[in-house]
Amino acid sequence: MTDLVLENVHKNFGGVVASNDVSMRVPAGRITGLIGPNGAGKTTLINLITGMLSLSSGKVLFGGHDISAEPADRVARAGMGRTFQNIRLQKEASVLANVMIGFHRHETCSLIAAILGLPSSRREDALLRQKAMALLGRFGMAGDADSPAGSLAYGHQRKVEMMRALATDPDLILLDEPVAGMNDVEALQLGRIFRELADEGKAILLIEHNMRFVQELCDHVYVLDGGRLIAEGTPRDVVADPAVITAYLGEE
Amino acid sequence: MDTLLSFRPLFDLFLIHLGFAYSQYIVLRAGAFSIGNVGLSAIGAYTAAILTVNYGLPLPVTLLAGALAGLAFGTLLAIPLARLRGVYQAIASLAFVQIVLSANLYAENVTGGAMGFSGIPKLVGTGTLLVFALGTIYVMLAISRSRLGRAFDAVREDEGMAVSLGINAARTQAIAYMISGLLAGLFGSLEALHSYAVEPNQFGFHLIIVILSYVVLGGRRSVWGPLVGVALLIALPEISRPLADARIMIYGLILMVVMNFMPRGIVDTLVARRARRRSRAANPEVRQAEVKG
Amino acid sequence: MFLQQIINGLVIGGVYALFALGFTLIFGIHKIMNLAHGGIFMTGAFIGLYSVQAGLPLWLAFILAMVGAGLVSVIIEVTAFRRLRQSGEVEFSALISSIGANLVLVSIAQILSKTQVLRFPFDTFPVVIFKVWGLRVSALQLAMAVLAILLVAGLSWYLYRTGFGRQVRAVAQNERAALLAGIRPSVIYFQTFMLSGMLAGAAGVLVGLAFNSIHFMMGDPFLLRGFVVVILGGLGSVAGALVASLGFGVLQTLSVAYLSSRLSDIIIFGLLFAVLLLRPHGLFGRDEAGVLRGRR
Repeated sequence: MTDLVLENVHKNFGGVVASNDVSMRVPAGRITGLIGPNGAGKTTLINLITGMLSLSSGKVLFGGHDISAEPADRVARAGMGRTFQNIRLQKEASVLANVMIGFHRHETCSLIAAILGLPSSRREDALLRQKAMALLGRFGMAGDADSPAGSLAYGHQRKVEMMRALATDPDLILLDEPVAGMNDVEALQLGRIFRELADEGKAILLIEHNMRFVQELCDHVYVLDGGRLIAEGTPRDVVADPAVITAYLGEE
Repeated sequence: MDTLLSFRPLFDLFLIHLGFAYSQYIVLRAGAFSIGNVGLSAIGAYTAAILTVNYGLPLPVTLLAGALAGLAFGTLLAIPLARLRGVYQAIASLAFVQIVLSANLYAENVTGGAMGFSGIPKLVGTGTLLVFALGTIYVMLAISRSRLGRAFDAVREDEGMAVSLGINAARTQAIAYMISGLLAGLFGSLEALHSYAVEPNQFGFHLIIVILSYVVLGGRRSVWGPLVGVALLIALPEISRPLADARIMIYGLILMVVMNFMPRGIVDTLVARRARRRSRAANPEVRQAEVKG
Repeated sequence: MFLQQIINGLVIGGVYALFALGFTLIFGIHKIMNLAHGGIFMTGAFIGLYSVQAGLPLWLAFILAMVGAGLVSVIIEVTAFRRLRQSGEVEFSALISSIGANLVLVSIAQILSKTQVLRFPFDTFPVVIFKVWGLRVSALQLAMAVLAILLVAGLSWYLYRTGFGRQVRAVAQNERAALLAGIRPSVIYFQTFMLSGMLAGAAGVLVGLAFNSIHFMMGDPFLLRGFVVVILGGLGSVAGALVASLGFGVLQTLSVAYLSSRLSDIIIFGLLFAVLLLRPHGLFGRDEAGVLRGRR
């Protein structure tokens, strides 16, 4: 089982503490929520976990291995997939191509085969095409396979990002505001998929603003404010926590 | 037949420059803005010329040596350039080309200095050039639809996104530099063994601009982009021959007009237009994203 | 002797600065690499020369050259860049479009000059040499230095002390925000391209006088050196371009005087390469792109 564990993760930019001694656990088979008002340091934390930023101190353990100093591409290859808050797709490329790039870490054909267009490269290409189409089917987007990703509606672009993350076959998925810009029906559909993924044994870390979505879906929630954890527990407990209420009301 | 034959030098030029254009294309495709390939072509050309004239080595050996020299220097170039981005990468690679040029002038006793290196036997004809050019196009197409092409596209479009998918950006670009170096060295060698003489200034700022124009004008993403760019810009001076003095002006105006009206280059703009039309036909309702821009 | 070379280098560096400042201004503010800058510089030299040949006094010719080159620069902005800016695909297409514009300018000059190297009439600038503490400084060098200082000071005053300058800098920092604040982009572009062209035009006349040689290809080597200076200084940094220009002028003069001119290029470009590796954004540049690549 591949759990993600943060031990006293600390980050300061110059003198500004962006992440203050954060310890948390994202277990496999569960959906863990991370919430907090704007500027609470959620994105910084994600960047620290995924290897986009280096830690000032503390440790990130993934499946028991210390990945605190690993570069981002190796963190990804260790089995961590993610989506981005500000959708990052290849806008000109087709939806299919966007999803196919996710399989990269599992591609086996040799460089020479790819350069010379040998049969092994072509076979792999055809196989990945099929697998990508299967993913598209799961998300109900098979009809959009050839559309340029940038031409899709916002919610659909988020789905493409998710499919791409899933194509890497991760043990842990970090979803950064996955249902922003979606209606309730779409959000519900996605929620069902997330639950399936957790049931398959993947760890899911959900960063979300939509409190209703978090309450319905998460098994355990961490609340971040000003770079430090101010509460954790079941969604029900957390919502009732006075510190959390103050943090959210204080923002308004 | 005579008129056809008279176009042969032009066709040869087209084939050689096609190779140069693809050596430029492949690094741009991988999101590296290096123009060092021109310096690598110079290295390949001089390697082939010196091995042929001074050591009398046979054609296959000299071509291989030229290509490998390009590959080797291309690989070396990849290491420092990986630290840089965008225009800074371009300027550092421009500095590399200038260093190759000046070193060439300085090492007069080996390279012939400013006078150039002459007396090279013409061992390469249209047939050989055609074989290598077609081979290059085939390889480009193969790369394009392989994992390597997908990795190039991802790194070019968004490096942060690419690494989040487990792609090692520096390594991916290094592969592009190596392929670029190989092509640059190979076609540099072909150029040397085709045109009797090489001189340093033939591989300078001017050639950089010409090659960059081919690729950007034709299109930097589609494999057919460089082909269209080279064909157009090589044919243009011939077509406008009657205009004599104004030829350079026409060339300049064409660059301006095409870029203004097809900013992604001819082929890529057409491809994008077609994709947009098709997706609109498939999904007639107006998409939110398009309204937002 | 050594001091003499330093002075010669500083004077040349001052002229490089005029050329480079216009180039870096456009990049810093609009993120456009204007490769037609060499052509604009050459146009300035031609206008200056033709004005003198038409019998106008040198000071008037100098002003005409500046204004003329400024206008040419503005025309290039409208014809080569305006549409591209709106399409959002600026980086590469603007590069090639400006190469096209450069070729048009070069071609016109080639036709006008019939591919000849042109010279100012002999007595255009009085040949007077001052001797101070054993150093020789010509009146022309003095004039070049004074003009370079005046123009750079004028540019700084404009950018940092006037309301227009404040608007220009606002656009440089965040174009979209500036537009929302009601700044009209066409006004800003007109100003920056005009200024950039005027500086290039001034540099053109001064270089034409100093080397007494004006021809249609004279922009190319300056463009190459302009790149070096601008990158060393950090793209978009006015102070950086100034310091790098002076340093470059001195370095070049010294290496030509004490080494061979061939080694000079190897040294200069090797240095450029090395500096970029140690400081990937130039000596005075900042990493404004903020590309998130991840730790390694």
